[in-house]
Amino acid sequence: MKENKTYVEEGDRSFYDFRYDDKDSYKVASGLTPDIIRQISREKKDPDWMLEFRLRSLDIFTKIAMPDWGPSIEGLNMDNIVTYVRPNTERMHTDWNDVPEDIKNTFERLGIPQSERESLAGVGAQYDSELVYHNVRKEVAEQGVIYTDIESALRGEYADMIRSHFMKLVPPEDHKFAALHGAVWSGGSFVYVPPGADVEIPLQSYFRLNAPGAGQFEHTLIIVDKGARLHFIEGCSAPKYNVANLHAGCVELFVGENATLRYSTIENWSKNMYNLNTKRAKVEKGGKIEWVSGSFGSHVSYLYPMSILAGKGARCEFTGVTFAGAGQNLDTGCKVVHNAPETSSYVNTRSISKSGGISTFRSAVVVGSKAHGSKSSVSCESLMLDSESRSDTIPAMDIRTNKADVGHEAKIGRISDEAVFYLMSRGLSEEEAKALIVSGFAENVSKELPLEYAVEMNNLIRIEMKGAIG
Amino acid sequence: MELTVNKPLAGTFGWLQVGGKRIDLQEEIHRQSCVLSPGETRTLLLEDQGASEYEITLGEGARLNLVQLRGASGKSLSYNNVRVTCADRAFFGWYRIVTGGSETYDNCSVTLEGRESTFEANVCYRLAGSEKYDLNCEAIHEGKRTQSAISASGVLSDKAFKLMRGTIDFRTGCSGSVGNESEDVLLLSEEVRNQSVPVILCSEEDVVGNHGASVGRPDEGLLFYMETRGIDEETACEMLAQAKLDSVIGRIPDPLIRENVREKVRENIREKTPEHGREKTPELDRDTAFQAAPEGE
Repeated sequence: MKENKTYVEEGDRSFYDFRYDDKDSYKVASGLTPDIIRQISREKKDPDWMLEFRLRSLDIFTKIAMPDWGPSIEGLNMDNIVTYVRPNTERMHTDWNDVPEDIKNTFERLGIPQSERESLAGVGAQYDSELVYHNVRKEVAEQGVIYTDIESALRGEYADMIRSHFMKLVPPEDHKFAALHGAVWSGGSFVYVPPGADVEIPLQSYFRLNAPGAGQFEHTLIIVDKGARLHFIEGCSAPKYNVANLHAGCVELFVGENATLRYSTIENWSKNMYNLNTKRAKVEKGGKIEWVSGSFGSHVSYLYPMSILAGKGARCEFTGVTFAGAGQNLDTGCKVVHNAPETSSYVNTRSISKSGGISTFRSAVVVGSKAHGSKSSVSCESLMLDSESRSDTIPAMDIRTNKADVGHEAKIGRISDEAVFYLMSRGLSEEEAKALIVSGFAENVSKELPLEYAVEMNNLIRIEMKGAIG
Repeated sequence: MELTVNKPLAGTFGWLQVGGKRIDLQEEIHRQSCVLSPGETRTLLLEDQGASEYEITLGEGARLNLVQLRGASGKSLSYNNVRVTCADRAFFGWYRIVTGGSETYDNCSVTLEGRESTFEANVCYRLAGSEKYDLNCEAIHEGKRTQSAISASGVLSDKAFKLMRGTIDFRTGCSGSVGNESEDVLLLSEEVRNQSVPVILCSEEDVVGNHGASVGRPDEGLLFYMETRGIDEETACEMLAQAKLDSVIGRIPDPLIRENVREKVRENIREKTPEHGREKTPELDRDTAFQAAPEGE
């Protein structure tokens, strides 16, 4: 079989791989010490309680062991990671023209301002450790929607709201990299959608890590109040370096009674990135969280958005696609905790492995003793494009009541030769035929995204498939 | 003697506590090895002996059906570890029936080394009171065109606990292999706890792997139908439990062993029933129920 295959070079990722010199930016020394934490805290002009919180988190970080169940993170040496890099700008801007030229060029090339003009209700752009631009449309602001950087919110009129929610869903004790985040977090967005507000077009935050050997630790806090509705999009990318970069962000989502939040992510970090991100949502009575997740980048990923269904009738939908190519070990999935009656969860994922890439779907569904009348359905499908790659499916279910129905199905296989033959007989090349089949396989995610993002995702699949066929 | 048992091939989130379990054995492990020559066929019935380890090697084309019973009358802790290696076209069938016992730890790991070798696991359990069952079942596909089918079904009531880890591992080079795993668990009480970890590991492109699981209450439509036939819910649930045991027992190929097992399972259930407050055996329930609902009514 192998000798019949044609091997093509890896796809061209120069669209994301461009970089600018970071010599003018301010950065702390690499490694983790209480002095570095104090230095970051001073830079950020933290309130006292936050400095204490950071130091406590650092203490927890030193006491928690590395996870022993996922991909190896031996190549990540915290002593070499710079945890705070301030880009060459003193403050966050609300006018795009005020953003420094090289940073502006970065986001221009990624198409962010164009997206803002055409399809978004608001945009936040983070460059290394700081947000450099934040803006929200007037009509959305008039609805009472708050979309700002989290540091301003921490010191302004929302200080109490931030304090009562910050790292309450993901406490630093949760795991080693949650503790790390608590110690060195910087940047990120705060969104508050007031009761009944319906934000019809999405808000987006875009995270770009430019500095080599650096970490990005942004914190996203979203509160969608009773009966409100929001779609939030998160995008991320970085140029590739020969040293390890680290992303250990944290996303905390509070979905109020009968509120709906859709949280979409197109993750395209460079392939030297350790993506150890933590995302969690708490959903109240009648509320709904919808996760749409596309994972394409990173060297190693640990990513399992968690939904806590805390109120009667709360719902969760998780739709995800993971594409692991050469040199990538992407461990992705989700966790759902049913903690109230009549809650429901629906998980639908696809994963693709090629050119020696490793993709793992990992999930946990816990149905607690109070979750009478709850339902959960998990479906995951994996596609292997060659035998150098690897694809694992590791779901777990923990059911503690008899008044619930839980179903799970998993499939693993390869692209059907008949389907490729048919498409080739209609004039497509083998590469085009396989890219088309993979795009169709990932359609469950792309159809959930706004059109512009679905196009970007299909482009990413096309780029990835160039190196794989055939 | 303390030892870690049932450690799966792939771990997962630590907080779920579904990795290997640490147990304290109060007795010596009974170890046995068994080699079947090429073409040899056997069916063996083994009852739990407290702590046992079996090392089985199946030669080319050999067929072994291993039937293992675990009832409430045995020792309070049972540790059973079966390791099998299959040569070309060998077949290993594992029939595991657990009808009681305070703590039961089962590990069955089968390596399909030879081409076209096959592993079939048929596991069934009926647990009540505070009984615990911890199972780790692995099908490791190494040879080309190998097949595995892991099927487990059972019923939990009262405060029973069950953890099943089922792993199908497709290793590089096992092209043309197929692995299927299915699990069906009925939960009859609010205080039961069921954990399931169905895993597929794959480093070979040309394979097909499937898994399906269903955990929950008896189907309401079915219960309603049975009620219309004069069968109360408790009796109906017992009938469903009995049907699950029967479906596995019915697959045992040797008729003498099959009947022997059927009789022993009946005895086990009868011994257990008064302890859990059931006055009638499921068999009697079923007979009475059908008499109460004549055909055509």
